[in-house]
Amino acid sequence: MVPDAGRQARRGGFAGRLVRSEYFVLLLCALYALAAYPFVPVLFSAEVAGNMIADMSPLLIVAVGQTFVLVIAGIDLSITAVIALSAVVGASIMTQAGGYLPGNGGVLPAILAMLGVGGAVGLLNGLSVTRLNMPPFLVTLATRMFFAGLAIWYTTFHTTSSSIADLPPLFTGLYDFVVLTLPIGESVLTLPLLPVLIAVIVVIGAHVTLSRTMLGRWIYAVGANRRTARVSGIPVESTIILAFTICGVCAALTGILMSSRLQTGSPILGENVLLDVIGAVVIGGTSLFGGKGKIVWTLSGVLFLVLLDTTLKLLGASLFLIFIIKGAVILAAATLDTLRNRIFVEH
Amino acid sequence: MSMNRRDFTVGTLMGLAAMSGLTVAVRAEGDKTIAVLFDGLYSEFWVAGIKIIRADLEKRGFKIMEAISDKDDNKQFEQVKAAIAQKVEGIIIVQTDSNAVIPAIKAANAANVPMVHFNRPPAQSEAFSVAIQADNQKIARDAVLYSCEVAKASGKKHQAAILIGNLGDPNAIQRRDGFDEAVGQYKDVIDVVARIPTEWDADKAFAGLTNALQANPDISFLFTSSDFLIPQIQQALEAADKWAPIGDDKHVIFTGFDGFPAAYGLMKDKFMDACGVQNLFYETTLAIQAILDLKAGQKVEKLLLDPGFAITQANMEEKKGEMWGYVLWKEANPG
Repeated sequence: MVPDAGRQARRGGFAGRLVRSEYFVLLLCALYALAAYPFVPVLFSAEVAGNMIADMSPLLIVAVGQTFVLVIAGIDLSITAVIALSAVVGASIMTQAGGYLPGNGGVLPAILAMLGVGGAVGLLNGLSVTRLNMPPFLVTLATRMFFAGLAIWYTTFHTTSSSIADLPPLFTGLYDFVVLTLPIGESVLTLPLLPVLIAVIVVIGAHVTLSRTMLGRWIYAVGANRRTARVSGIPVESTIILAFTICGVCAALTGILMSSRLQTGSPILGENVLLDVIGAVVIGGTSLFGGKGKIVWTLSGVLFLVLLDTTLKLLGASLFLIFIIKGAVILAAATLDTLRNRIFVEH
Repeated sequence: MSMNRRDFTVGTLMGLAAMSGLTVAVRAEGDKTIAVLFDGLYSEFWVAGIKIIRADLEKRGFKIMEAISDKDDNKQFEQVKAAIAQKVEGIIIVQTDSNAVIPAIKAANAANVPMVHFNRPPAQSEAFSVAIQADNQKIARDAVLYSCEVAKASGKKHQAAILIGNLGDPNAIQRRDGFDEAVGQYKDVIDVVARIPTEWDADKAFAGLTNALQANPDISFLFTSSDFLIPQIQQALEAADKWAPIGDDKHVIFTGFDGFPAAYGLMKDKFMDACGVQNLFYETTLAIQAILDLKAGQKVEKLLLDPGFAITQANMEEKKGEMWGYVLWKEANPG
């Protein structure tokens, strides 16, 4: 949170206001899209726009959860394992190939179990950080390894293949049931509305929680200075546990969307998403040191990263180049965060 | 801090210019493009595969849209959607998971873009795509049969070990079955004492083989489901004092699979007895031809088999020209 943002912004003049603005990353997105357009004209087509919005939804939800944890000066590396574990647990319940509750009737219990897995892992992370006083990095690295291994082990009991397929139509239809199809010029915008709607609800809910509720104020206070927060009577431990639990549930929700999209519960689902999630949140401007961050910033960061990724995909860039460019952009964002604080706060 | 606001603004604009410059560096748009989407380049087989596909497509005048998903099925689905948006002529894909690729096939079907799976078939579904696959079981069986004959000719009984791949990969299962089919015919000569799961992981293969050699020091017959494990096998056999050429008493009768350049090197130096070879050149031709045929509206079977072959110490001179590993080995060792 930036309580005196207005005063600080005024110190930096136009450039300062621009760089400190909540819309700085959105402006970067617009400039980047304009710069890329001559080389990838299809970028501005309705079809690609629809693809980008659909691609954003799962990443945005898990990034929103990560924002809660980063604001309390933590980090959650276990999100990838939560995505995978929730996917295989849910799939094992509802799969029509020998699930515990096969078919459409198993969808709701499966979704609840998936969210439960996310909440439980988040709770475990939060308890380990608060009760055992362990660093979040170490705790979530360990739980990431443990639950990623558990997801693979669990899968071996439910299929002879490497993933659990044959999921019921009610679940796989999440991406197919309500699709907006809108011809725009020569292109057609195809948008799966349910995942987008879920992402919008999560974003609005998280934004309201952080900006308008007591819990939100506690989260910022704990992230800014844990000792001061405790002296002020804020339940620091509960706040930290809740932030990790929210993050776990968000990761599980992403697991639901991804496994529905791929119509499969895979134990390696989301394995490589960590860089994108933390990168998006940091690009948005949320501080890795805690106490500062907004859902709107995360939304901008996710948009920028998806835009970058889409452009590079359309250009046929190699994986190595994509890694280099993404890594450079995330590093630049972290550096920019440090610089803009030093320049416009110190001066 | 010595940087002023003007410097900062200039720096930001330069950064933007650099970003747009990067897009120039990776520019790739043409009239007719084929997307080549691999899940990774984890061994020489896949590196050689993408290289041969690239060369073949360029020779035919196609532009290529390449992408690697790094074993991320969701990312690969997005890559397929991007390829469709780019109006590609067809998609050659190597997926990680045979189930998770099905929505991508459906998306390609809906956009009327032909999709061909290179060397790794998808799971059964109503979606239509064409898979190019080596006849793994037959190739493995033929290669191991030769080694079984060598074992029989030695006049001794042999304890055998097999390095098995990831059982979620149909190729790994078929290679294991080919091995079993062959040694099953020589039960009086060969006793399988170790089945080592590798999950296509070199570290697990090394640890598993080392343990097997300690538990069964008389192992003298070995089959690897992929040649990419050769360095780990050599290391483990050296540590067990069993790395010796054909003719030496300590020689372990060794059968490979894939036809890597390293496998050819070992065949030439008489450390390997036989190797099942996937005909990478033939598979590439099949894949590209399938896309062209589908685009032309012709009917193509869902599964196109590469019969492959077994290269052995007996037929090496005659067959090596068809071995992709030999071609690459020769490039690396001219003269």
